[in-house]
Amino acid sequence: MKTLYLALKYLAIALWSAFVVFPFLWALTTSFKSANGVTGGATWIPWVQYEPSLQGWQSLFGGVGGINVVKPFYNSLVVTLSASVISITLGTLAAYALSRFTFRFLWMRNSDITFFFISQRIMPPIVLAIPFFLMLRSLGLLDSLPGLILVYVALLMPIAVWVMVDFFNGVPRGLDEMAWMDGCNPITTFWRVILPNALPGLVVAGMFCIIFGWNDFFFAFTLTFTETQLLPVAIVSLNSSVTPWWSLSAAALVSIAPLVVLAFVVERFLSKGGLAGAVR
Amino acid sequence: MAEIRLAKLAHSYGNGTNALKPLDMTWRDGGTYALLGPSGCGKSTMLNIISGLLKPSEGRVLFDGQDVTDKDTGARNIAQVFQVPVIYRSMTVGENLAFPLVCRRVPTPRIKARVEAIAERLGLSRHLNSRAVALTADQKQLISLGRGLVREDVSAVLLDEPLTVIDPQMKFELRKILKDINREFRLTMVLVTHDQNEALTFADTVVVMNHGEVIQAGTPQELFERPATTHVGTFIGSPAMNFLPAVREGDRVLVPGAGLSRTAPADLPTTDLTLAFRPEHAVAGGPLAGTVTRIWFEGADQVLALSVGDASLRIRAVAGAETVGAIVRFDVPQDCLRLYHQGRLVA
Repeated sequence: MKTLYLALKYLAIALWSAFVVFPFLWALTTSFKSANGVTGGATWIPWVQYEPSLQGWQSLFGGVGGINVVKPFYNSLVVTLSASVISITLGTLAAYALSRFTFRFLWMRNSDITFFFISQRIMPPIVLAIPFFLMLRSLGLLDSLPGLILVYVALLMPIAVWVMVDFFNGVPRGLDEMAWMDGCNPITTFWRVILPNALPGLVVAGMFCIIFGWNDFFFAFTLTFTETQLLPVAIVSLNSSVTPWWSLSAAALVSIAPLVVLAFVVERFLSKGGLAGAVR
Repeated sequence: MAEIRLAKLAHSYGNGTNALKPLDMTWRDGGTYALLGPSGCGKSTMLNIISGLLKPSEGRVLFDGQDVTDKDTGARNIAQVFQVPVIYRSMTVGENLAFPLVCRRVPTPRIKARVEAIAERLGLSRHLNSRAVALTADQKQLISLGRGLVREDVSAVLLDEPLTVIDPQMKFELRKILKDINREFRLTMVLVTHDQNEALTFADTVVVMNHGEVIQAGTPQELFERPATTHVGTFIGSPAMNFLPAVREGDRVLVPGAGLSRTAPADLPTTDLTLAFRPEHAVAGGPLAGTVTRIWFEGADQVLALSVGDASLRIRAVAGAETVGAIVRFDVPQDCLRLYHQGRLVA
């Protein structure tokens, strides 16, 4: 009975893994194929089933008819990381304040203010395209990294506030009171006592910010022209009348690589018990 | 270490009810006090006002004659142990103990020495480098206490039902540690509890509260011998004090049908009278008689429930051969008979 259960368990895990791994495998093999290899049906084994070609990868690094992915990759990295760090910093401070102090603004209370933050993400992004465009133009920040960082902060901060308010609400108030008694002021209480306890929350919020920031295409596309290109936009520009599956596959692998690394790092952290026992 | 004075202190939360009715009280330096009362009687409110977590709506709080009402918690130099252990989970036991000194910018060698001394005293030396979360509940409470003790100049240690979540076995041990520490460090300690046993064994002075009001403050002995109200008499002591409706006849007050009586003070009203005595004060043999209706075995003692006339009461007696239905003769010495009018002690 026990072996049967174990076998079923592993079978389920194996099926799920195949389901998850298959697209990666598909992209990986396709990225090493040429036009002939791609149209020749589903083939997996290089040299045996198809002749491997570096054409796809070459077109990502300045090859004929391709692009150079290094600059957009760097741009994406700068915009995503800067916007995430700023969003997490501001968002965490805002969330701590919303979780611990009472605010009143006109008819609004803490919960209304928190909802106001989240409501920014309820709006369809298209609504914001024209205002953001006009605002960046008047600031002279169109088609620039600082401009994109500014817009991404506006997009990512609600996520940070949302995740962190919830997290701080779960950190017992008794901890704050204890810290005051031990001689902390509100700032040292936050910095030395509450924040170390909220580390798992920071990791989760950071992960969300990086994923959303890295994957955004819409604003990267509408607020830039030719100077500042982010990775998703660069990848789309690869497309032509004959879809270059090999270069698109290579580009897809390049663009998800940082997120895969992030996933492994976060998984390590969370499974090490970062979350366990963080909140009573 | 400080003398704590509460001057005309009162508090009400937003909804208009008085969480704490106006009171004056002085807690002497180095004394042990217990705030005893049912849940919601205002004892935690009082504690939070002293520690500065709550600002009183009226009155002042004075430490050694200095007004600290407007000072915030950190400036009051108070230590508090809460009902549920509060520890800094991201830190080790040693870092937890050191934290109040780190916050107060004490030099590192001094911190190290202090933490080691306190850990030694509380039996936490072995755990100094362990993560604080890994410890048991009673050890966590010791860490909480330790964070107060590392400060040599701590004004007072406030204990807000610190033993509630502790195993019964450890409760006794922890209470003993608290008492020893009070004696050793000569700290002013205030214990909030709803457990009379805890209050009576820990404190020099027990403050009984109900509905936001201090009903009686006195030594455990005084509370036991002369409860100020019928409420205190019921709350303190196990089994509770016997309260019997009484009437005045001339210069005597008596319980009709029971044979219990005592002299009446000159200006005593004639209605709403109660005669009371402790089950422990009844002596075997004498003019009074009752029928045993129930027996509780309590080791060397037993508690007998008797019906005497229309009244039912309890007495404590040496374990014997009494059976339910038997007639038991007993007496209550005159100096042990208390008289209450409208629930308040008259004589």
